Amino acid sequence: MIGLAARLLRHRAGPAAATLLALIAGVMILVAMGTLVESGLRFRAEPRLWAAADAVIANRTVSHTYKEFGGDTTTSTVWLPEGGTVDAALVDRIRQVPGVAAVNGDTRVLIGSPAAVGHGWGTFAFAGRPIVAGAAPRADDEVLVDTRLGVAPGDRIDLVVGGVRRSYQVSGSAETGAAEVFFTDAQAARLSAHPGRVDAIGVRMAPGANLGAVREIASAFGATTYAGKDRGKVEQSENQAAQTLLVTAGSAFGGYVVLLIVSVVAGTIGLSVRHRRRDLALLRAVAATPGQVRRMLIAEAALLALVGSAIGGPAGLLAARWVHGELVGRGFVPAGFPMADGLFAVPAAVGTAVLVAVLAALVAARRVTGIKPIEALGEIAVEPRRGGRVRLVAGLLSLAAAGASGAFTLGAAGSTGALAGAVGMLYLFVTAVALLAPRINAYAARLLTKLLPRVWKVSGYLAAANLRANAQGMATVLTALVLSVGFGGSVWFLQNNLERQTTTQSSAGTLAERVLVAPGGLPLDAAREVRELAGVRAATGVRRTQVVVRALDGIEPVGAQSVDPADITSTMDLAVREGNLADLRAGTVALSATLASSSGWDVGDQAELWLGDGTSVTLDVIAIYGRGLGFGDVTLAAETVAGHTAGNTVDEILVSAGPEADTALAAWTAGRPGTEVLDAATRTRLIGTDLALGAWLNRLLIGVMVGYAALAAATTMVMAALARRRELAMLQLVGVTRRQIRRMVQAEQAGLLGTAVLIGATIAALTLSAIVNGLTGSPIPYVPPLGWVAVLGGTTLLALATTVWPVRRLLSAPPIDNIGVKE
Amino acid sequence: MPDNPGRTVEPAVRVEQLTRVYDTGGNQVTALAGINVGFGRGTFTAVMGPSGSGKSTLLQTAAGLDRPTSGRVVIGGTDLSGLSETRLTELRRTQIGFVFQAFNLIGALTVEENIALPLRLAGVRPDRAWLTQVVERVGLTDRLHHRPAALSGGQQQRVAIARALATRPEVIFSDEPTGALDSRTAAEVLTLLRAVVDEHGLTVVMVTHDPIAASYADRVLVLADGAIVADLPQLGAAGIAEHLASLDRRVLR
Repeated sequence: MIGLAARLLRHRAGPAAATLLALIAGVMILVAMGTLVESGLRFRAEPRLWAAADAVIANRTVSHTYKEFGGDTTTSTVWLPEGGTVDAALVDRIRQVPGVAAVNGDTRVLIGSPAAVGHGWGTFAFAGRPIVAGAAPRADDEVLVDTRLGVAPGDRIDLVVGGVRRSYQVSGSAETGAAEVFFTDAQAARLSAHPGRVDAIGVRMAPGANLGAVREIASAFGATTYAGKDRGKVEQSENQAAQTLLVTAGSAFGGYVVLLIVSVVAGTIGLSVRHRRRDLALLRAVAATPGQVRRMLIAEAALLALVGSAIGGPAGLLAARWVHGELVGRGFVPAGFPMADGLFAVPAAVGTAVLVAVLAALVAARRVTGIKPIEALGEIAVEPRRGGRVRLVAGLLSLAAAGASGAFTLGAAGSTGALAGAVGMLYLFVTAVALLAPRINAYAARLLTKLLPRVWKVSGYLAAANLRANAQGMATVLTALVLSVGFGGSVWFLQNNLERQTTTQSSAGTLAERVLVAPGGLPLDAAREVRELAGVRAATGVRRTQVVVRALDGIEPVGAQSVDPADITSTMDLAVREGNLADLRAGTVALSATLASSSGWDVGDQAELWLGDGTSVTLDVIAIYGRGLGFGDVTLAAETVAGHTAGNTVDEILVSAGPEADTALAAWTAGRPGTEVLDAATRTRLIGTDLALGAWLNRLLIGVMVGYAALAAATTMVMAALARRRELAMLQLVGVTRRQIRRMVQAEQAGLLGTAVLIGATIAALTLSAIVNGLTGSPIPYVPPLGWVAVLGGTTLLALATTVWPVRRLLSAPPIDNIGVKE
Repeated sequence: MPDNPGRTVEPAVRVEQLTRVYDTGGNQVTALAGINVGFGRGTFTAVMGPSGSGKSTLLQTAAGLDRPTSGRVVIGGTDLSGLSETRLTELRRTQIGFVFQAFNLIGALTVEENIALPLRLAGVRPDRAWLTQVVERVGLTDRLHHRPAALSGGQQQRVAIARALATRPEVIFSDEPTGALDSRTAAEVLTLLRAVVDEHGLTVVMVTHDPIAASYADRVLVLADGAIVADLPQLGAAGIAEHLASLDRRVLR
């Protein structure tokens, strides 16, 4: 069977090439995605700071156990956005445990400039690294630094901690594997953002001693003990962020790509079976059992999948290497992050491709049962009417589901949720179109019967007749076109909408005319100083953080801002819908409308959530506001989060002041090197740049998906066009000129494209507005003018290149050569 | 395989009370209205009749390509009505050969591969001596490695006949085998079919509308409106044409 399958494939290279192309591109994307996911999954953080510790006690995650509908309980765990702390009293409790040889509580100090992390000297011993030069810090103004900071013993170094710059004497240097700075224990404690609490506790045990007692005490304090290889999880949060990014981005998009490949490969294989109907009928008549024909089609598909993998696999590895380089270049992934070699990703991608192809062939082969051997006798292969009521009902159900999911998506919070919702809704719409395509085509053709002859005369008349007759055959083309227009038109523009809305909300909601920023942040009391400057009406210190809230499926971190409530109503306008932002103080919270609706909280309710360090708090909801994208879904008073953040700085100070305050502000910043005054417009521009950078990966992945959909549409159309060899030859023989045929094809394309663009654009518009409405409350999405041009122009170009060119080629051969050919 | 000495009295193909009703959009069209006929072993029968008389439907149902609405088809002693699609195919593969009007061959395969295709599908090792004999008989020895596209229409039909012979079937069904050929080439093909019956004792059932083609047969069945209206011995081309013409006149009245 395989031999026969291979022979038949070689002879019918056109449809096979389309399927092969879809599989090559599919495997390539899957391998690239898979490598990202694999790198994330296989990443094991090596302990560096705690390399010489036997165990590290820390509080890095928050978990929530809840009951599912079925009665099962599920535990959802997230990494703490601000990295949790442990009670310093635990250090002494651990020290008393028999068998503990050494213990040290690490006070982690975030250094804003130069970017580094500080620790107390006591931690240095647990890193197990020798001092390269010099000695330990002895005085409070002495530090031992990692060689990466490029200073030698005896030099002085300026370190900005908590927004305050201090000069230190370098007492020594060491090679610790990262930009670390070691203060004296006393100085580290003084600089700590959370006095009385430590970031982690390192424990060294006497030989042969058991960790059991330590674990028990630690868990009584609500902390986790990490031993052995797990120690690395406590540190290297940059690598962990990269790990999470790779796994979530890769798997979310990989999943959608699998769906895309399923629909594309199923489409091309289905079409290739349809184009070979007579061959297959002949095989059946001559003596192939339905099972043999089915096995032949499956062998053929598996063969294509393997060949596709052989080409797509290596290409995917190259693509993964390129993506990795770009991710490192854009700061998404640290340069030292180890990338996997595809040991698992490649087999998984190949397995998926083979499975998809074989399943598609199985589905297509089901159709073979419907091929009657007597069809081989017929002069013209007439398409039988297929799919009756079942298909109609399934199509209408998908349509209804798409509508319902649109309503459901309204509740999704955050850009990732919105994106996932958008793609899900889109798939349902496209599925509905795929199922209803023959009916849509037939209906469109009836409408076009009057229109096309008016523009294209005889050619238009023929085109309309063809569209009516081929409603079934063109279903795949319509689906592929709708898929690419719908994808390009919604998911891509959704990203635009998110960015635009974020910057719009941010600039519209910022009442302050000036903004103070500094690398590494500004001191907590700076806002108070600025407020007293001449000409300043109001000043608000803002720190961006995250809090953890309950979501639909577990718990998730959401963006939050902690603000100094005093002047908040003069510096920012959050578009409050209910309640009053002036009521914001310790123990209260204001929520975005999106979060309020998804969590069911209202003004006056008690909101239970976790602060960035995992502290559970219950806060009174005092206001609900509209500008969640621009300012974060949660707004807290600075007092509420004090001591619960990794560093004690504010990210920016919003200053409400007229031009007369500029001199005073300039004087104030002059005393603080690195501090800058920005006007509101500059700040908005910077936010936009940051967002675009952050959205790079999303854009890349969406671009890949849209490209794949376009490729699918292109191959399908080329296949459909090349299959018309005989028909076009026949038309030429009965006296239709080449010019008329070309015009007929143009008219058909215009009709088909018009329908596809119309439906695709409608789907895109519905999807976009449902999600934009959910995010912003306004159902009118923003589409950049160039976007329209790109979608419409791109589709037209695609159709011209993939149909007009093949048809021109067909017409260049004398018609008599083509008339004898089957189909 | 095809030789079964104990059953020589039994015709190669027998149909009993065969009816076939098509349902076209609520309209019931009777293509066959209860036909009883047997095709004796080693005979060459031409089935004729005007368009829509049901002659092609008779061929397709008798050959197991299409299932009757009611009635029985017995080929070589096997009743087709109870068989699954797979069993039916297996029967077709060993007992029945086909020659259609056109598009008989798989374009991807060479002449030789096309001829051996039913054997290959059956998983049977081809009988080399027999195949060589068949190829020689149809005169294609020097064309074995060509593809069908490189052959003339008459040659393609000869390949189809060779393929039909390859499994030494009980019966060869042929639907307008010369419909697309010029008269000289048609004569070659018909002579070949005649020889197959005379030399190898095979049974051939051929649907045709051409009295000259029918004149190669031993027996002429004439159908009209799904029923047999005449069962004639060989009358010669002119006699057949005359008979058909009288039939047409009757229909017109």
